[in-house]
Amino acid sequence: MTASEEFTFVCPSCGESMEVNPAMRDALVENGCVVCGASVTTEAFSPVDTPE
Amino acid sequence: MALEKQTEMTQSDTDALLGRHETGVLSLARDDDPYAIPISYGYDADDRTFYLRLVSTPESEKREFLSSNPDARLVVYEEDEPTYKSVVVTGTLTEISRDEMTVEHVEQYGEAKRPLFEIWGEAKPDLDIKLYELRADTISGRHIELSERHD
Repeated sequence: MTASEEFTFVCPSCGESMEVNPAMRDALVENGCVVCGASVTTEAFSPVDTPE
Repeated sequence: MALEKQTEMTQSDTDALLGRHETGVLSLARDDDPYAIPISYGYDADDRTFYLRLVSTPESEKREFLSSNPDARLVVYEEDEPTYKSVVVTGTLTEISRDEMTVEHVEQYGEAKRPLFEIWGEAKPDLDIKLYELRADTISGRHIELSERHD
């Protein structure tokens, strides 16, 4: 897995933040925030900045 | 109301009961002090593991009891007169850190409902929500059939 495949997840409901890979992103969208249970969309994820 | 019949539940019966419910009472102990709280859970019958979200505040009694990976008991029961069933689970409660979170955890917590019983005045970002798993050492269940009530 390369850095470009990672995302930063920020839950819009509880504010929890963590770096995730694509499989985790898909699981969070399907199951909701693991911390608070709120529904999550792909808008809660942004690509991790990669060094130039 | 007389006790007519009491039987031990099979593992498949206890798994079925635990799977169709999502709430129970979790009991913890520290020295001679008991502590019991209503909780919601997700249950993985294959691993015999329960997944719980618990909310606490820094000074809370709950935090004190949770701070040492305590031995725990979970009680789940149902009643549909004249049938009563109860399941008692013993095990150790372990916190899952954010660093160890896996896809499987996300899926399991998707099954666990929000902390339904816990009403908090603070906004979610101000709450300390911790994730725990309870690995069952023992799971036992009883099925009781009562005779007809004669009031």
